[in-house]
Amino acid sequence: MPVEIIMPKLGLTMTEGQIVEWKIKEGESIRKGDILFVLETEKVTYDVESPGDGILAKILIQEGKSVPVGTVVGYLARPGEDVSGLSPAGLPAAGQASSDRETPPCPPETQEVVPPGSEEGPQGRIKASPLAKKTAAANYVDLRTVKGTGSGGRILRSDVEAELGRKKSGADIPAMPAATDEDRLVPFSGMRRAIAKKMLASKVETAQTYMSVTVDAGNVMEYREALLPLIEEQYGVRATITDLMMKITASAIRMHPIINTRWTDKGLLYLKDVHMGMAMALNEGLIVPVIRNIHDKGLGQIARDRSDLIRKGKENRFLPDDISGSTFTLSAMGMYGIEQFTSNINLPENAILAVGAIIDKPVAQNGAVVIRPVMTITLSYDHRAIDGAEAGKFMRTLKSFIEKPIRILA
Amino acid sequence: MASKTRVTIIGGGIGGYPAAIRAARMGAAVTLIEKDVLGGTCLNRGCIPTKALLHAGEVVHTMQESEIFGISCKGYAVDFAAVAKRKDTVVKQLRIGVESLLKTKKIRMIKGTATFKDASTLRILETEEELASDRILIATGSSPSRLKFEGADGPDVLDSTRMLELTELPGSIVIIGGGVIGVEFAQIFSRLGVRVTILEAMENLIPGFDGEIAQALEKSLEGAGIDIMTRASVTGISHNAGGNDVRFRIDGKESTVTGDKVVMAVGRRPEMAGLGVERIGLATEKGALKVDEFMQTSVPHIYAAGDVTGGIMLAHMAAAESECAIRNALGEKRPMSYRTVPGCIYTSPEVAGVGLTEEAARERYKDVEIGRFPFFACGKALVINRTAGIVKIVSEKKYKEVLGVHIIGPRATDMIAEAVLGMSLEMTVEELAEAIHPHPTLTEAIAESAMTLHGGAIHMP
Repeated sequence: MPVEIIMPKLGLTMTEGQIVEWKIKEGESIRKGDILFVLETEKVTYDVESPGDGILAKILIQEGKSVPVGTVVGYLARPGEDVSGLSPAGLPAAGQASSDRETPPCPPETQEVVPPGSEEGPQGRIKASPLAKKTAAANYVDLRTVKGTGSGGRILRSDVEAELGRKKSGADIPAMPAATDEDRLVPFSGMRRAIAKKMLASKVETAQTYMSVTVDAGNVMEYREALLPLIEEQYGVRATITDLMMKITASAIRMHPIINTRWTDKGLLYLKDVHMGMAMALNEGLIVPVIRNIHDKGLGQIARDRSDLIRKGKENRFLPDDISGSTFTLSAMGMYGIEQFTSNINLPENAILAVGAIIDKPVAQNGAVVIRPVMTITLSYDHRAIDGAEAGKFMRTLKSFIEKPIRILA
Repeated sequence: MASKTRVTIIGGGIGGYPAAIRAARMGAAVTLIEKDVLGGTCLNRGCIPTKALLHAGEVVHTMQESEIFGISCKGYAVDFAAVAKRKDTVVKQLRIGVESLLKTKKIRMIKGTATFKDASTLRILETEEELASDRILIATGSSPSRLKFEGADGPDVLDSTRMLELTELPGSIVIIGGGVIGVEFAQIFSRLGVRVTILEAMENLIPGFDGEIAQALEKSLEGAGIDIMTRASVTGISHNAGGNDVRFRIDGKESTVTGDKVVMAVGRRPEMAGLGVERIGLATEKGALKVDEFMQTSVPHIYAAGDVTGGIMLAHMAAAESECAIRNALGEKRPMSYRTVPGCIYTSPEVAGVGLTEEAARERYKDVEIGRFPFFACGKALVINRTAGIVKIVSEKKYKEVLGVHIIGPRATDMIAEAVLGMSLEMTVEELAEAIHPHPTLTEAIAESAMTLHGGAIHMP
């Protein structure tokens, strides 16, 4: 019997995935562990390995299609195994040619496979009326962005129209200018859509306020230098300034629990543990992998975790659980020489720290001008939950910890 | 333990008793006041008894056409007293059913007439008992309207209620009003051998229904031997030994038609007699209680549902409104939607429609498409020898949303439910055409009608 290749579930929140690329063609052979196809969710792209040795007998879901988790996307067969009668459910296809008939089976050209109970269509499991779906398609409205007011949250035409109304006046999508040789349209990836949605929500749904402070980074650099060989020996990784900044920031957050909160409908949720998100750039876009329980970890472990996460990111091996659940995020732009910048709060968190580059600058010290390595850090915080005074106290603690890192041992 | 919300419902008809059951299910302490019998107009003086009589007519018709099926039914006789008795038996059985449902739900029933003492207190006129309530639902229904002209109060001029009390068949009747009630009475008595004339003031019978369907019904009733005069306004009735001469005018020309009985079937009006709504300042409009989309009256804790709120007076709409009203009264907040209220007429062929008529759709949308499929092309219709009629679908061109479905034909009133469900889910023509309809059934006519707008019907050239 051919083996079903299914859309895997990568983490708790994944409901559907898009096949970005089949790495081999129908009829080609593959070994267990080789990359069979690449999938993309809203959050990650992921290489799916072959479950065994064999031949890719049938591709049911073509590239570019999104299907729910658990959907059969293809079949793996042994060489010579007959797969002509396979249907999406793995049962003989209806009207299968009997042995004395020469009817070739139709290839399922762009077949959608939908498990019972879900709604058909390119959106997968989205409860929407047929009319709402058609209205959305005709007006380029992503149903995932529409709030349904029908029974059980079902999206109705009026909901799609309301979404259209929220768009800029002149809801009709302007006609594309005629493409020239220089212009090219790159369709949005799931990740780009997710980034856009999150960034916009961050700006629209929070009362973002900013405060900056310039700190002396001399001791941070010294500490890192001193600890580098120890950590390298024990953990096999080189600790970075960012690792140290994450460690120090986590210690400051523990002193100011208001920073580690979440805005909810019922009230302000104080989170016990600190899970530090670190903004990371991939070729496809921005992602925020998470170092869990960072407050319980030493610098070496943090450096190891960070290094593992970066490797996973480069290899497209993030699981959704690696990139969700952060309670506070740190974004560092030192590698680009950026002196000072602000970051958008990573919802549903209440604050984010933007860490600039360490730059030698003349500063006044004991009545004399000296050159010191300084760094400007900027906190973006949701003023609905965190008052300026609270943010200020946190930044004061953070500055004192950065300038004298030994204090975090107190 | 928190004390239960005290809900009082005035009226035990289809707008009242389901609300009482719902309120009890939702945990309220419920009292239902009914001055007459449970079941209201629908069960006692409307839907149910008329359907019982119509079915008797259908049995007669089956006898008459039995030769087609190779069965001889010569020598049958209509005993109208027995027909009326059977109707009463059905009504009584259903009434007992309603009563036991209410008892099971521990709903207190008071037989009496309610009047408002103040906005939260009702008095029962017969017993002088006073009831304090947290929430009140008024569902007092409606009564037959009467036109005023010379002779309108004659002894042989009967409304629908009194027509249903007849135990002897008249030789001939003249029905004033060709709406739903008028055409059903025409069908009942014509089938039982009575000579029937309908006088309708408007251009078509059954105003409000799709024009094409209304005209098809008119032809069908005329084919069954019923005389129909449209654009006819009645000017007076003279009662004499030979019967009742009904004078009417068409385009300025006066004529007369004679009948043993005259049926006044000119609609119904909201019933609020004795309620004392003016005493507590309840807003009214055109003689009906004014409610908002949540079925709330101008007094916040008082709700109203059904015929007393005016508009289209239909039993299933009263039931839906009362469900909506009672849920809102007990803390929910859902508006009443009138987008998919079906209208049904139990003539032969039956008529049913939901959504926009062709006329209304053309007015509202620039581009509409009409799908039609005749029952003569439907296998099951031929099997049962009911091939008259069509299924008509109105859709808009842009997304092919189904705007209306109108059926004249066998079992139309049962079949319309599919369209109601589909339209409430915002279906388009595609879903209706592509849904697998069972074969052989009359419902295939719906699918085929949709197919005419979606690539073409199979069983039509």
